[in-house]
Amino acid sequence: MRRMGFFTDTTLCIGCKACEVACKQWNQLPDDGFHFTGMSYDNTGMLGASTWRHVAFVERAAELPGQGSPRDGVEGGPRAFGELFPAGQPGPTSLLGHDIQPTHIETPVPLGPTERALGKFSWLMLSDVCKHCERAGCLEACPTGSIVRTEFGSVYVQPDVCNGCGYCVSACPFGVIDRRAEDGRAWKCTLCYDRLKGGMVPACAKACPTASIQFGELDDLRARAHRRVEQLHARGVGEAHLYGEDAASQPGTEGLHAFFLLCDRPEVYNLPPDPVVPTAKIVRSWRSMAAGVLSLAALAMGAVFSARRA
Amino acid sequence: MDAMDPLRRETALRDGRNVDPEVGRLTGEASGQRASPRLAAAALARAEREAAPADEAEGPSYHGLPVLKEPVWRWMIPAYFYTGGLAGACGVLGAAAQLAGGRGTWPLVRRCRAIAVGGAVASAGFLIADLGRPARFLAMMRVFRPTSPMNMGTWVLATFGALSGAAALPALLPAPRPLRRAADAAGIAAGVVGLPLVGYTGVLLANTAVPVWQETRNTLPMLFAFSGAVSAGAALDLWRPRGPGGEMARRFGLVAKGGELALSWALHREAGLERVERPLRRGASGALLRGARVLLGASAVVDLVRRASPALRIASGVLGTLGTLALRFGVVAAGHASARDPHATFALQRAGRGAADLARKGEAPGPMPAPRGIDATGQESVEHGANP
Repeated sequence: MRRMGFFTDTTLCIGCKACEVACKQWNQLPDDGFHFTGMSYDNTGMLGASTWRHVAFVERAAELPGQGSPRDGVEGGPRAFGELFPAGQPGPTSLLGHDIQPTHIETPVPLGPTERALGKFSWLMLSDVCKHCERAGCLEACPTGSIVRTEFGSVYVQPDVCNGCGYCVSACPFGVIDRRAEDGRAWKCTLCYDRLKGGMVPACAKACPTASIQFGELDDLRARAHRRVEQLHARGVGEAHLYGEDAASQPGTEGLHAFFLLCDRPEVYNLPPDPVVPTAKIVRSWRSMAAGVLSLAALAMGAVFSARRA
Repeated sequence: MDAMDPLRRETALRDGRNVDPEVGRLTGEASGQRASPRLAAAALARAEREAAPADEAEGPSYHGLPVLKEPVWRWMIPAYFYTGGLAGACGVLGAAAQLAGGRGTWPLVRRCRAIAVGGAVASAGFLIADLGRPARFLAMMRVFRPTSPMNMGTWVLATFGALSGAAALPALLPAPRPLRRAADAAGIAAGVVGLPLVGYTGVLLANTAVPVWQETRNTLPMLFAFSGAVSAGAALDLWRPRGPGGEMARRFGLVAKGGELALSWALHREAGLERVERPLRRGASGALLRGARVLLGASAVVDLVRRASPALRIASGVLGTLGTLALRFGVVAAGHASARDPHATFALQRAGRGAADLARKGEAPGPMPAPRGIDATGQESVEHGANP
């Protein structure tokens, strides 16, 4: 079994939503209505039955080293309006341009309140997707066997078996899978099972213009992700870290087949900090049930016996 | 003329895909997903409307949106918890009366069997009605999967339904002696299978990612077991059998009410963290649970003083039934509120009660895996970008 998955590097995401569109197009998913949320540039809101990729936008009142516009040679963060580079000379271009030393010249116009307002700022963008957990809550909860593990290691819902009981919806610790009301069945990302069968890359990874979404064999992806974290640390992005890359980093799911590189706490991206598949904790609950119902049987016998007529 | 207007026709045929059948065929993975544009934006609009207002003091969240999906179950599920518990507990009491009742308890046994089979049928009806695809309910029985309490419960309910149906058969038609013997054996077996039927629904709720349900995983099954006993006692108060059986049902129900009240407080204790326990106290779910306690307490008091008064007996039955119904609906409503609150999930896991709980051997919480620059307690360390 070749275990395939996604590595989503949020430092490379530019929020273009090409992945969302490619996913909708390829899978022929219906739209979710056209709704203005007022939450930054995110009008998708969350993953759902017919939204299998979702780009999260966070406007953060904190600086992220290296973030800025490469076009004008202007660096982001508090120095956004502080220094300019002479025309024709390349400025630092995002995280990749760490080795270019800026030339200091004065700001031509004092920017006053604008500068103060924009000083401490950075974007965080993350293309969220079903994590295809090594131990999947939805799969273990599914009472029909509709949710299966494929030969690619992904978690797949068979739409012709699902009877829409809704148990997987509550069992997913990431809030990924959902039931569409008109359809009655549960749906989520399939890791483009049909494309994988045809030897192709999933639609979102294919469409991603910045390699923020990387698809491949899990072992390769992990090695690449660790190299990327080292690279970012060397460039001053100390908070870069991986989320759910293996069982050691996320014991509750025993590792994700779609893992992430984050630059802030997981909650900021709406990811749970220490998720756990519900079944992992359920043995004591069954034991407790046994104790409860046995005392119930004793109670029934006691009630009957105490009131019996000789 | 209007009918030919291509723009209007397209709008009428729209399913949210905008695939022109002349140009493209619907063969994608999700092409079978039924959709109507009318309902499409409802889920997001609702989540957004109910999003917790962002509060810096509560720690970070993504625009206050929930991290989990709210359970999609409708009122049929808590209603099923009631009917299933009622049926199972009646099966248990009926079997106990059959084994140890002695003279004059047959009215109780017959009544228990009737309620058991009626409750099992109603339970199956509620469960099937709540499915997104009710016609496919038999898909539940194509696998045997111990990791899924819902799958286990389906098998238990099906077995219980068959056994209690067989046990109730002699009451419906004149049965020869061997058939009555078989019905008695089925009655005992229904009592045994009734035990998991009363309790498993608590495990079913605990086996979810919903913080308040997951954190009360030891109390919920016991609470639901006693809640089932209360429903059985109350139903037999309302439909009292002749002979000593009525007094047996009263004692069964009275002790169960005490147990249910005690366990409903234990629920708060086990939930622990304020943020997780909050829906048990506040809002509609908190009100339902408080109401449940008042009704159960009142019912127990009436039970203690009622003697032979039929009016008080009926009052106790009504109060007990309403109380235990309020408890079921309250617990389910608390889960909905808990799933909507992202901070319940975050606070729980930051407190070391996510996966870190698994490593714990009953003592101090194990360390939560902490990425560099980010403290497990949720505090930003100096390395973190926000600090100077």
